[in-house]
Amino acid sequence: MPDSESRTGEIPAKASAEKFRPLDLLIQYNFVAIFLVVVIIASLLSENFLTFTNIANLIQQAAVVGVVAVGMTFVILTANIDLSVGSVVAFAGMVVALLLAAGVNPVLAVVLTLVIGAAAGASMGAISAFAGVPSFIVTLAGLVSFRGLTYLLTDGVPVSGLPAGFSSISSSMIPLFPGFNLSSMGLIFIVAAVLAALILRLTVFGEYVYATGGNPEAARLAGLPTKRIVVAVFAISGLMSALGGILLTARLRIGQPTAAQGLELDAIAAVVLGGTSLFGGRGSVVGTLFAVMLLQVLRNIFNLLGLGSFYQMTITGVIIIAAVLLNRFLDFRRGRT
Amino acid sequence: MGRPMTEAMAVDNVSKVFPPNIVALEQASLHVTKGEVHCLIGANGAGKSTLLKIIAGAVKPTAGTIRIDGRETHLRSPADAASRGISMIYQELDLVQQLTVEQNLFLGQVPARLGLIDARTRRARAVEALRRVGAGFDPDARVESLSVANRQLTAIARSLTREASIIIMDEPSGPLNETELERVFAIIRELTAQGVAIVYVSHRLEELHEIGDRVTVLRGGRTIETFDVADTDDRTLVHAVIGENRTLLERHARPPLRDDTALRIERLTGADGLDIADFEVRWGEIAGITGLNGSGRTSLLRSLFGVRPFSGTVTLDGQPFHPRTPIAAISRGVGMVPEDRKVEGLILDAPVYTNATLPLMRKSSLARHGRRKAAARSVLARLSTKYGQPEQKVIQLSGGNQQKVVLAKWVANRSKLLLLDEPSRGLDVGAKADLYELISELAADGAAVIVASSELDELHAHCDRVWVLYEGRLLGSFDPATTDQNTMLSAQILGRNHA
Repeated sequence: MPDSESRTGEIPAKASAEKFRPLDLLIQYNFVAIFLVVVIIASLLSENFLTFTNIANLIQQAAVVGVVAVGMTFVILTANIDLSVGSVVAFAGMVVALLLAAGVNPVLAVVLTLVIGAAAGASMGAISAFAGVPSFIVTLAGLVSFRGLTYLLTDGVPVSGLPAGFSSISSSMIPLFPGFNLSSMGLIFIVAAVLAALILRLTVFGEYVYATGGNPEAARLAGLPTKRIVVAVFAISGLMSALGGILLTARLRIGQPTAAQGLELDAIAAVVLGGTSLFGGRGSVVGTLFAVMLLQVLRNIFNLLGLGSFYQMTITGVIIIAAVLLNRFLDFRRGRT
Repeated sequence: MGRPMTEAMAVDNVSKVFPPNIVALEQASLHVTKGEVHCLIGANGAGKSTLLKIIAGAVKPTAGTIRIDGRETHLRSPADAASRGISMIYQELDLVQQLTVEQNLFLGQVPARLGLIDARTRRARAVEALRRVGAGFDPDARVESLSVANRQLTAIARSLTREASIIIMDEPSGPLNETELERVFAIIRELTAQGVAIVYVSHRLEELHEIGDRVTVLRGGRTIETFDVADTDDRTLVHAVIGENRTLLERHARPPLRDDTALRIERLTGADGLDIADFEVRWGEIAGITGLNGSGRTSLLRSLFGVRPFSGTVTLDGQPFHPRTPIAAISRGVGMVPEDRKVEGLILDAPVYTNATLPLMRKSSLARHGRRKAAARSVLARLSTKYGQPEQKVIQLSGGNQQKVVLAKWVANRSKLLLLDEPSRGLDVGAKADLYELISELAADGAAVIVASSELDELHAHCDRVWVLYEGRLLGSFDPATTDQNTMLSAQILGRNHA
């Protein structure tokens, strides 16, 4: 069938996917390239940058935003958004602190807190999915209410007097290989990211997440439980926020109700910078991981240069815009509008 | 028919009313036997899509029964229908563009163990399904990188991966070439030989003859009749599709055509095979464009309004015309009434006068409510629109009056070339007559009007010339005064110039 042959021949199905063109590859994985450039700049600025100690520090500092951004990636892949994560981090941090201060077994306290976080996320997801309310609105309400609840727990007073062993969740030093000791919270972040990437890539659920975000109507018609998938991604986001809150409280050694303000914006910025589309269906946790580290390295550079946080905020915004424009350009080149 | 008639599915007296009270189906019935190709035809709005969606579990019927394999069933969801052996190939919306072909093939039924995708099994089954439809593309290709024809083959391959006993194909032939269509027909024959029932929707009567055993005609949400394809000629089918009331529309007298050309298309080409040549409209003319869904009616109008990119040579009033934005088209005196007035034509929650004067606002920087209300009042009065106050929300008007508000935009803007896409859709008989009277008044005032519609009887009654589009090309124009509708209809449906 010559006609059909020539027709399929026209379609660069393989050409785009499998013919290695270095430039395309570079553009495709631009976040890796940008990350490497920033790392090179940083290592030129300071001899101490590429030391194991500094790298371990960077990962630890990025851990709280990192785990939250991993959860946020699931939500954004379904074309939703979760603005409540910062408040849920603070809420969970306070809950775990209160439980511990009341003498609850630490393992039980952590598990309970994780369950509460997942339930908080799931209920926001359920309201959004089943009542058809945009998740932007539902989680905006969550942002306000959970912060309010956090203050109500102790009337705004930090909780101290946590058992000494609790901080080991965050700050045990784990020797990964000779000379490289990573703190446990850094390790938790990396493990969570790897697990999430595997779930998205290898499981049926992961594929459902992409399908629901890519074309919800097609997914529904294919028999996918799209509403329950949306509930599940919000539950994951809530769970990861609770994990972030636990790590934060363990590191600070107090429950701090004012913690993690604006964290949702850092997490969303990282997800978008990592190439995940706000319109859903496109993106990866690997991208998020690189983006979280990129933002952390940038902060590190600014500190090395002695630039204050005003500069940091301004330039971070500019970098996010540049990355998003680059992705739009990529879409345009591939003929998507 | 020689083969045993075992019932695969029986749909009886199914009705569907969409809120508030739009009746899409009224006691429609469809009986499908095992191993047959059962064709379903009907004009736009006859209720085909609603019926198919009910069978596929995507829409719940208001009344009626569905029996599958002799047992009465309530289909709760698409997943439920799939588990009962019903597989639906939608025209477009059921592939996820961002996923690969292979992922799409098994969406909703991925081979998996403990939630982990069994990649090896999936690959083997994907390769097999794609081989069966004769697909030459990679299972790892993303659907968005495929041509429309290859997407269609993907959708067909997908239904092969599910052990379906009833497969519904909604106009599968649209994007396929002859070789590909032959391959699909071969697959259909293979499936029916195994006892699978196929429900095949197509407008093309020649396909019906080639592949169909029986054909059911829907009109106005009702089942008109089921015919054996072998004993039925096209004329009978066409009559069943368009019904008897078409003779009710009297042809209106039209003044002789003027000599001065308004719009002339020497050549206009665009995406999806749109290729128009030698088209013209004179000032004061009402030109009809008809054709099946997907023949390019809407695409042509959108191109002329600067919404859809095109290349070629077009002149308006003797000057080159190549609008790249609606603003460019509007400033040349072009106005468009889009197909879906609620989505593209009106801001439903805004007042009547805002809607009627929206294009005028670009000429001033102040909102000028008083002046616009006055302008809206005079234009709407001229179009004899019924409404309470100019401040009334447009959503509260009837369909006919809403359409007049859409038209009022361009009358207020003094547009000279009006592009009307299915302007009478959803209007009752009185409102339709009203609308066409307005159109001929506007034409009498010198405007050139292009009416794109699948309602051939309306075009026949009101137009100076009717052009027939078939698969993106013009077959030519007919003079309704000297051509009967059946000739045009067979051109519209069969793509032939002579009956």
